[in-house]
Amino acid sequence: MSSLSRSRLGRGILLHLFLTPLALIWLFPLWMMVVFSTMPDNGIFSPGIELLPHDGFLDNFNNLQRDTNFVGAIGISVCVAVTYTVLSVLLTSMAGWALARYEFHGKGIVVAIILGTITLPYAVVLIPQFIMVARDFQLANTWIALIVPPLFNSLGVLFMRQAFSMMPAELFDAARVEGVKEWRIFLFVALPLARSMLAALAIILFLASWNNYLWPLLINSQPGAMTAPVALGTLIGLTKVSWGGIMAGAVMLTLPMLVVFVLLQRHFIAGIAAGAVK
Amino acid sequence: MAAVTLTNVVKRFGVLEVVHGANIDIADGEFVVFVGPSGCGKSTLLRMVAGLEDISGGEIAIGGKLVNDVEPADRGIAMVFQSYALYPHMTVEQNLSFGLRMNGNPKADTERRVSRAAEILRIDELMQRRPKQLSGGQRQRVAIGRAIVREPQVFLFDEPLSNLDAELRVQMRVEISRLHKELGTTMIYVTHDQTEAMTLADRIVVLKAGNVEQIGAPLDLYDDPVNRFVAGFIGSPKMNFLGAKVVETSNSAATIELVNHGGARLRKPLCESLPTVGAEVVLGVRPEHFCEKGEGDCDIAIKADVAEHLGSVSYVYANAGPEELIIEREASRQRASGDHFTVSIKAERCLLFDKAGARIR
Amino acid sequence: MRTRNATAYRFLTPYLLIFAIFWIWPIISSFMISFQATRTVPWRFAPAFNWGRLIGDPAFYNALENTLLILVIQVPVMIALAIMMAVLLNSPMLKARGLYRFAFFAPVVVGEVAYSAVFRLMFSLDFGIVNKLLASVGLAKIDWFSNVTPAMAVIMIAVTWRWAGYNAIILLAGLQSIPDDVYEAATLDRVSKLKQFFHITLPLLKPVIVFCAVLSIIGTMQLFTEPFLITERGGPGGGTETLGLLLYRQGFRSLNFGYASAIAYTMAGLAIAITLVQLWLTREPK
Repeated sequence: MSSLSRSRLGRGILLHLFLTPLALIWLFPLWMMVVFSTMPDNGIFSPGIELLPHDGFLDNFNNLQRDTNFVGAIGISVCVAVTYTVLSVLLTSMAGWALARYEFHGKGIVVAIILGTITLPYAVVLIPQFIMVARDFQLANTWIALIVPPLFNSLGVLFMRQAFSMMPAELFDAARVEGVKEWRIFLFVALPLARSMLAALAIILFLASWNNYLWPLLINSQPGAMTAPVALGTLIGLTKVSWGGIMAGAVMLTLPMLVVFVLLQRHFIAGIAAGAVK
Repeated sequence: MAAVTLTNVVKRFGVLEVVHGANIDIADGEFVVFVGPSGCGKSTLLRMVAGLEDISGGEIAIGGKLVNDVEPADRGIAMVFQSYALYPHMTVEQNLSFGLRMNGNPKADTERRVSRAAEILRIDELMQRRPKQLSGGQRQRVAIGRAIVREPQVFLFDEPLSNLDAELRVQMRVEISRLHKELGTTMIYVTHDQTEAMTLADRIVVLKAGNVEQIGAPLDLYDDPVNRFVAGFIGSPKMNFLGAKVVETSNSAATIELVNHGGARLRKPLCESLPTVGAEVVLGVRPEHFCEKGEGDCDIAIKADVAEHLGSVSYVYANAGPEELIIEREASRQRASGDHFTVSIKAERCLLFDKAGARIR
Repeated sequence: MRTRNATAYRFLTPYLLIFAIFWIWPIISSFMISFQATRTVPWRFAPAFNWGRLIGDPAFYNALENTLLILVIQVPVMIALAIMMAVLLNSPMLKARGLYRFAFFAPVVVGEVAYSAVFRLMFSLDFGIVNKLLASVGLAKIDWFSNVTPAMAVIMIAVTWRWAGYNAIILLAGLQSIPDDVYEAATLDRVSKLKQFFHITLPLLKPVIVFCAVLSIIGTMQLFTEPFLITERGGPGGGTETLGLLLYRQGFRSLNFGYASAIAYTMAGLAIAITLVQLWLTREPK
């Protein structure tokens, strides 16, 4: 073996020796979530070290359902996340299309406002949003309250603007010359070409809505109107509560997203990475 | 079919004016080529005719109708783009019929038009493929087919051949020429390639930096350019420009001295005006217009730097002071680099320009 | 391009409406509310009421201090970790790349509530797996949630676990946009791998690193769920209370909107300052 390939091999082994423990540490909380969700409460709170799953998931789930209507909350979460994703993808891609592909008066101002306010903390708008939705519109504890206010997100607009402006302009000019109406160019030429970008955006938006905590906590605090994370959050810190149940809930919130992540990893990563590569 | 008229057309991007008042009349059925170096405004001009760019000033009329504020689709034009602009997610057939379908054209008529276009361009067998599965030449045919389907009054071509390799380019050039004869429709064609302009055009519009330099039939531009730019742009290899000084004028002729060729003198008959004695001028001679020693009116001695033998002809490159000369000779293996020889210039086969580049006739 | 005002605004209007109502207007409104006394109806304009209180409020300074402490320690550690993950994941020698990617990137999809619950359980005093593991190797158990320092540590560990992979994804994309031939040229010049990292990778990655840092700082500045759920509303005794939690307490427990808005604008001020620093750090050299 040449010294070159030996030193390469050495480096390769070192790399794996270092990265493997780190990866295991990183997986550990997720693994423990699964383990906890299958253990009875007296197992979780016992002195022994348990690192393997048991078979108590269904019992834990029943305990959870006894503590709070988690299935109902999951139902709300799914409907809200789906509706939010569809609406948000539509709104932001329409806006992104306009900003990428049209020359119009006020364009500079619109772009400047979007860019200028993008790094402001969400906390700044929280209180007026709450006052507006809860007091002025009387919409607390409704689906509208969960879906509509978060539609303001401007990252999606910038993402889609980027996607559309990377497409060759001649494509749209060709359709224009052929007499295709602008909204049909958008629907039948631009959107199909942006499919993978749309998928990335949709995944990111769905995840954001699915995991959203603070806003639903504030605006939909009534038991029948809570989303799943909020319902689960209310249990944390209660004294007489099944921790196995909480963990079962955590698994039910996390596992579907992990599956989506594994299946659609490419889009996922594209969606997150798009923030930096401008 | 329709004539196209551009009257004082101006284009500004913000404060930057890129087209400075273009006046062009294109007759019904004519094949007109806009040619010029990149950035000369030729594509912008075409896009204004198409309606893809706002017209900052002046008027454009198609078929006698002012179209400044008319949408592209309602101008009776069809356009072929440099990148082909085929919809990548549609088959060839869908690409051809997309515009008609979107506008609710009757199905039977759409089919008729699509199959006619496919027949004209011989792309029947590609109908179910997607653009990705086509070669460059095939894509170009589909792009042209899509224009034909519209049955337009005017075809617009924006550098349609520049993405093809040399051989295909020649082939498609012939094809487009044939198409023009078959359809007889007005065509406006933009290119930076003077060969394409010469071979395709009924008339050429030469543009430079947003100005129309000259409009004319290909051979008129070749024989009788109005200025040094047109003379240099039309013709390949480029015309040679030799520095000269006027030493004497008389009887509608000027005698000039070639400053870089040891004071060789040439008497050039002129019919319009005479330059002043002592003025610096430029003599333009096309590579193909040099003749053998003694056959012309002025002999110059040359030392060949490089000789290129193309088979049918040979080109000899020579440096004389600051000037590089290209001389076309009959095919021969005899000329090699380092050779000394003498060529001759005929007074009626050369052009005279003043220092600013304007023609002296 | 042709100017198409009507078409463009037809596409833009739905979004702009939402954007104006739920983003622009609240930004302005929040600013105005921060100058109003909101404890009594009707609200009245009293500029010193909230801002004056803010300046003299020990709870505010406590929250600000905690937030800055987390920022100063957690963000650099996480960014360094993320850079390391990205560089190692990008190594051509890595086998089973998919598994490692899954390990580091999976936390990105885990919701705040779910992972807060897990961390709370993992670090509990008598039955937490962390203390059990410490005990099993002969170390003393730590009472994580009764003392400020370990409680802060848990929050920082949790946040780092959740977000390091997220930043690594962004950094990895940045790494992959550095052309290979730069490294090949350096190798031919006998520049060692380590030196390549410091003299090629880091400088070329700087804009992305700064971007990640700013994103993380602005995120961490608003930290709410972790101290809310893991350390039980900022416990022990306010020891892990952050600005985000203080805002929640003032705004939505005490319903003191004016004061909460003043806190929010303090965070906004910090965010603007940090963004300006980012712009300055990544400015194009003249």
